[in-house]
Amino acid sequence: MKSTKPTVGFYSITGCAGCLLSFIFNEKEIVQMTKLVTIVSFPFIHESAEIKEVDVAFMEGLVASPEDEEVLKEVRKKAKTLVALGACAHTACIPGYRHFVPKDSYARLMYEKLHKIKTIEPGPIDKYVQVDFTIPGCPPNKREIIKSVVNLCLKKQLKNYTSPVCVECRRNNNRCLLEENRICLGPITRGGCNAICTNSHFECWGCRGPTDDMNLPAFIELLEGKGFTKRDIRERIIAFSGQKNPKVLEVLP
Amino acid sequence: MKQLLSKADPYRPFKIEILERRQEVKDTFTLKLDVPLKHDPGQFVQLSIPGIGECPISISSYSSSFLELTIHEIGMVTNTLSKLKKGDTIFVRGPYGKGYPMKETKGKNLVLIGGGCGVAPLKGVVSYLDKHRHDYGTIDLFFGYRSPEHILFKDEMPTWKELYKLNVSVDKAPTGGCYTGNVGFITQLLEKSQLSPQRNAAMLCGPPVMMKFCIDILQKKGFHEDQIYISAERLMYCAFGECCHCMIKGKFTCLDGPVFRYDQIKEDLNEEH
Amino acid sequence: MAVYVLKKGDLEKFLLFLGKQGELIAPVKKDEVRFEPLKDPTDLYLDEQTYIPAKQYFFPQEQVLFTFQDDMIIPVVAPIKKRIFFGLRRCDLAAIQHQDIAFGEHNDPHYKKLRKSTILIGYQCTKKLHHWCFCGSMDLPDFYDLMFFEQEHHYQIDVGSAQGETLLKKSKLCRKTVVRISKEQKIVPDTNLLQRKDLGKHYSSKAWDSLVKKCISCAACTTLCPTCYCHEIKDDVPVSLKEVQRKRTWSSCQLKEFSGVAGNYTFRESRSSRFKHRIFHQLQYFREKHGVDLCVGCGRCIKHCPPRIDFIKVINKL
Repeated sequence: MKSTKPTVGFYSITGCAGCLLSFIFNEKEIVQMTKLVTIVSFPFIHESAEIKEVDVAFMEGLVASPEDEEVLKEVRKKAKTLVALGACAHTACIPGYRHFVPKDSYARLMYEKLHKIKTIEPGPIDKYVQVDFTIPGCPPNKREIIKSVVNLCLKKQLKNYTSPVCVECRRNNNRCLLEENRICLGPITRGGCNAICTNSHFECWGCRGPTDDMNLPAFIELLEGKGFTKRDIRERIIAFSGQKNPKVLEVLP
Repeated sequence: MKQLLSKADPYRPFKIEILERRQEVKDTFTLKLDVPLKHDPGQFVQLSIPGIGECPISISSYSSSFLELTIHEIGMVTNTLSKLKKGDTIFVRGPYGKGYPMKETKGKNLVLIGGGCGVAPLKGVVSYLDKHRHDYGTIDLFFGYRSPEHILFKDEMPTWKELYKLNVSVDKAPTGGCYTGNVGFITQLLEKSQLSPQRNAAMLCGPPVMMKFCIDILQKKGFHEDQIYISAERLMYCAFGECCHCMIKGKFTCLDGPVFRYDQIKEDLNEEH
Repeated sequence: MAVYVLKKGDLEKFLLFLGKQGELIAPVKKDEVRFEPLKDPTDLYLDEQTYIPAKQYFFPQEQVLFTFQDDMIIPVVAPIKKRIFFGLRRCDLAAIQHQDIAFGEHNDPHYKKLRKSTILIGYQCTKKLHHWCFCGSMDLPDFYDLMFFEQEHHYQIDVGSAQGETLLKKSKLCRKTVVRISKEQKIVPDTNLLQRKDLGKHYSSKAWDSLVKKCISCAACTTLCPTCYCHEIKDDVPVSLKEVQRKRTWSSCQLKEFSGVAGNYTFRESRSSRFKHRIFHQLQYFREKHGVDLCVGCGRCIKHCPPRIDFIKVINKL
């Protein structure tokens, strides 16, 4: 296989750094991966936080403060390809939940000094800059990260997995959690995670965002038939990917 | 002449060298391959690059010494194919499918109607006709392209003009350009033509909408559905009727097609209704 | 063919014997019933239909077809294990036969490799296993090496092949009988749910739409189907960039990308056309080509459909 050796930078804004760890957790492949790409920036490896010109930038985190926005725009300017790494960058994830609740409802729970932090409306990075490719998931699937790096090196078009989580889940022979009357978002969530949660009998919370082809009204009807309220369903869906599923608010105001 | 079909494993492709790579237009190129493939005009091969994937490509030549494939850069595999050069190797298996009915139409007049990269398989038919010119009557070619920049096989056009009735049209041409040919949909030229359905057969390839309008016109001119042959496109993996992705209702594009007689497929083409 | 008898009390011994002849695979219940290697004969569970059919043993979710090594094609070489399946229902067996047709037509070596050296031992249902069993409508053939018919104190074993009979003799646990299996024994009561008709005329019927509205596109129907054999081919590149694997994986006609071509066009875009494609492939197209329906009436696609879309009712009303 012919390949070029692209320069790659990893950057982080508001987030938990778990997405960056997902890259490192490819213990078996990481050494080989450094032969494929030149890593010019990685928060745990390089001390300096300088944003350099790169072929590909992997951006972890969501925009939640003015500084985030600045860093993101700088990274975008210096990267030929910008990859959103993980659910925060893709959907704004759990931190983006703030978008759906009035501040008065949680302000009393905040530490004193948090009130001084300047925040802006939390949002996924594609709200601010053009994103070329997204590796979804909280955390992102580590195999998928490798695949993206390999494909970038081969100049192979990056393509997202589009089927719902259910497909991989049943291929893994798992029992369906909907049958157990649990709110599993598998049918409306795009897979590629190899159904990691449902493999362990934990229902899908939709961290990888909705499928383009989801049948939301039918899914809600199904859950309502199992005794869940509109509120239960709404809260579950907006937890990880509300900002990428505006239909939810139409159907479940 | 040979076929690149493995008895042991139908998925197994064969390594073939690229003899030449020609850029036809901005997003379309031709690969000339070092293989004398025994095939019919309108058949296709599966072309692959290890690691990138495989895709069906129709054959645009008819020769006993080489194989030409004219490829439109539109998907992942074709984008990578476009980066290959002379001397590189690729993997090929085939030929597959049913081509245009050259034997059944022997002695008849032919109308070939192509749109955009749909002209590529028809070029294979024309190459066949070059070699069997005396077996057929009048031959009308109607080739439509988006703009003068998209016109394929310009080098062949003088020869085609001599041997056949060549009609070329572009949907749009920039004002003040050097293009002096017809402007407008190919359907307009087809409509104006004096085609007679007597002892005639029409062979079409192009975007579904274009083919639909052309079929309407042909029928107005008195063509019967069984005189019209169209080439269909579907997603395909195996190319030998096993993966089922190319099914058009119960028919397999890779086995029963890609060329279908219109009366045998028309009911099935739109599966949405 | 001959019929043998096995005392009920000897079933465990028989299973232990089978386990020595090859890998024994049979229904085992955990949270769901699945065909699994049977470690202990007491794990055998025959009271329900398996959630997962036996399909994946012959047509795995993912299978490497061959490997590219520096432009050379290297076939996959793996030792062939002898496998014995026990507890396949009539529908499960017919499903294997229909897949044999689908893959056999093309002499598919990747399927054959996993399919040969297999002994199929069936277990006849005496009552329907769930509400949506409709095998009675599907006219399922005898397709087995051995088939168990449960009686009060013993099993009657119908021999379907020479290798099946050899196995019985070798076990020394069964005795030959003059009793024959009756036609009635092969039929499961109350399973003639589906009215058979030429669906070709009904493709455009509006009746399908009411069902499809409820479809959540989870593809459970095709994933759990014992006969669905549609698949796609993809290349997998390791980080070393060497040894590219060309793989065959399951695909599902219920997903949009199934009929999508480059340039962003999908031929079966609507859920309704996708749904109809599945039903028609199972109950019309395959028969037109091979003279037998692909569907075997196991009913998994209804039982395990989350919104429980019951196409039988709709077909019957057409």
